[in-house]
Amino acid sequence: MSVLNRRIRGFRLVDVIALGLLVLLIMSVYLAKTIASRERAEIASVERQIAAERAQIRLLEAEVAHLEQPSRIERLSTLYLEMGPVDVTRETTADSLAALAPPKAPSARAPAPKLEVVP
Amino acid sequence: MSLAGVVTRRFPFGLRWLGAALWRLEHAFERARAAGRVEDDARIRIFMVMLFFGLGFGALAMGATQAALFSGSGGGGGAGWLPPQARADIVDREGRLLAADLLHYGLYVDPAEVWDAASTRQALAKALPTVSAERLDRALKSERRTFLAGGMTPVQKSAIHQLGLPGISFEPEQKRVYPLNHTASHLIGFSDTGGEGLAGAELALNDELRALARESGELALSIDLRVQGALEDELRKAAETYGPKGAVGLVAHVHTGEILGLASYPDFDPNTASAASADARLNRAASSVFEMGSTFKAFTVAIGLDTGVATMASTFDAREPYKLGYRTISDYHASRKVLSLVEVFQHSSNIGTARLAVGVGPERLSRYFDDLGLTTAAKVELKESASPLTPKVWNEDAVASTSFGHGMNISPLALTRAMLPLLNGGKLVPLTIRRQAPGFRPEAKRVLSETTSTQMLQIMRANVTGGSGGKADAPGLSVGGKTGTGEKYDPEIRRYNGKRQVSSFAAVFPTDGPLENDRYFVLILLDEPHGTPQTFGYSTGGWVAAPATGQLIARIAPFLGISRHIGPMEHQPRLASTPTVLAEAR
Repeated sequence: MSVLNRRIRGFRLVDVIALGLLVLLIMSVYLAKTIASRERAEIASVERQIAAERAQIRLLEAEVAHLEQPSRIERLSTLYLEMGPVDVTRETTADSLAALAPPKAPSARAPAPKLEVVP
Repeated sequence: MSLAGVVTRRFPFGLRWLGAALWRLEHAFERARAAGRVEDDARIRIFMVMLFFGLGFGALAMGATQAALFSGSGGGGGAGWLPPQARADIVDREGRLLAADLLHYGLYVDPAEVWDAASTRQALAKALPTVSAERLDRALKSERRTFLAGGMTPVQKSAIHQLGLPGISFEPEQKRVYPLNHTASHLIGFSDTGGEGLAGAELALNDELRALARESGELALSIDLRVQGALEDELRKAAETYGPKGAVGLVAHVHTGEILGLASYPDFDPNTASAASADARLNRAASSVFEMGSTFKAFTVAIGLDTGVATMASTFDAREPYKLGYRTISDYHASRKVLSLVEVFQHSSNIGTARLAVGVGPERLSRYFDDLGLTTAAKVELKESASPLTPKVWNEDAVASTSFGHGMNISPLALTRAMLPLLNGGKLVPLTIRRQAPGFRPEAKRVLSETTSTQMLQIMRANVTGGSGGKADAPGLSVGGKTGTGEKYDPEIRRYNGKRQVSSFAAVFPTDGPLENDRYFVLILLDEPHGTPQTFGYSTGGWVAAPATGQLIARIAPFLGISRHIGPMEHQPRLASTPTVLAEAR
């Protein structure tokens, strides 16, 4: 018997298979669309949050730039901390630090230098 | 000829197979009919229709699945939307923010949804004090949804939103914001609400900023905000002390041409550029031209050395005023002696410089001025760069005048560009407001020899250690420079007015070390300053501009990696002549 003529409980096998395939396709498309729309909404929500956070970050960056502008920092440091440009006499290199270090204090056990009294 | 025959000959295998299959199928129908099995014919046709429908439906289903799951857009709801007027951020060379597009909100009123117009008017008037009562009334009485106010920050929006007023809504909008307000305002410039640059870097780099905005990039300028801050501070102090009409400050790298600081006084806030006066918006560093006065003597001396007309040992007779045609050239403070070339520079002698320029001759002097870029607008990205006013005829009179900075008006940017070859080994580098990569050296035409450049560094240093630029010296640093005081032409008295001066100091530091070392040019210029009791009434470059230059250099040297050291400078060139400081010299 040809596959086309084969019947199951009065229904042609080929019709049953086609119907099953049709239902399967409809279900799969429905599920795909439903899941996708849910995920799309979630993605959109996250992206909106990211955009809002980014806008907030940029706003804060601009605020920081405003607050850290050199003229303001200088005015505040002069006014409240009495700071100023470093004087050249107080500037040195790392290599010169050793030369600037104060001489070691004489040890307590060392004998005191004798003082000579000049007549 | 049969169809099969045609197919076999002319078409590729795939098409031939498809044609043959269709041909067999059609013959199958014929065979079924011929065999009297009509039901087989119908079944086959139904099967074929189902097959084609099934394939089509399957393709549609796959397409729908593909579009739903793998379209890639993600359906972000417009989160990545970029307004058409978007511009990229502008940052300084260290990445500090100078200009940015920030999300703001526009406030709209829909009168049809307003429940209580009186209370809404009262609440909005309190929340938006800058909006006039007439405008508020117009919006509330309008027959359609009306824009009321724009540029609202999220905080302002939130405050109004929390009032819970029906009929009030917001829409996002981008606004260009300059968080540093007045800082570097002339260099950064500003743009309009349509996203088009109108001044400064915003105008000069407009297309680049628009393109970078689409790539979420940022544009780095050459300025260093620390240098800029110190420059503006010293310029402001000088302006407050001497009360000039205007002032200019510039710091540039002599090898790369990068502008590390540019200030023009008075300045303005680009956030409210339209509210600023035209005078405040004027970029005097680029748009204004001045008779620079004695700073031009640096060019004359360099040209004299480069042409071989003079050497470091040359002398010039400055005992008497120099008569040249119908005019007599004299010195501001006559030394009445024979001067060496270095002394001519240190005394800022007009007589000595004019004699040197006449020796060079009009043809060579004008050619060198062309080569130094003094006869054209300064080559820089800024559109405001002004063209100079130059002599129409290069005769001996023009040569003598221009040799000490008269008869020729140039912008401070043009002066800066022309000064760089004197200090960098002789190359005319273009100025730039863009950050360049470390170690960058632009393609540049040689206009002076390296020897001339080395000698100019020595002469300029000698002018600070023992000449008119003494007040520009900074402890621990080898500063060189030249004072400049140009008198301004006064149309009322139809001659130069000695009380209206352009006083400047053009400096370089450090002058010691090999030519290839990092080196910086600094210019401070005051337009019509007034002397003070502390300057004994003098308002010349040596009195008003040189001290500010020295203080500025002392402040910015650490930022630029120039070490300061007290004590004898091992590499410092020493010149024989060290006359007394002539602070009043021009």
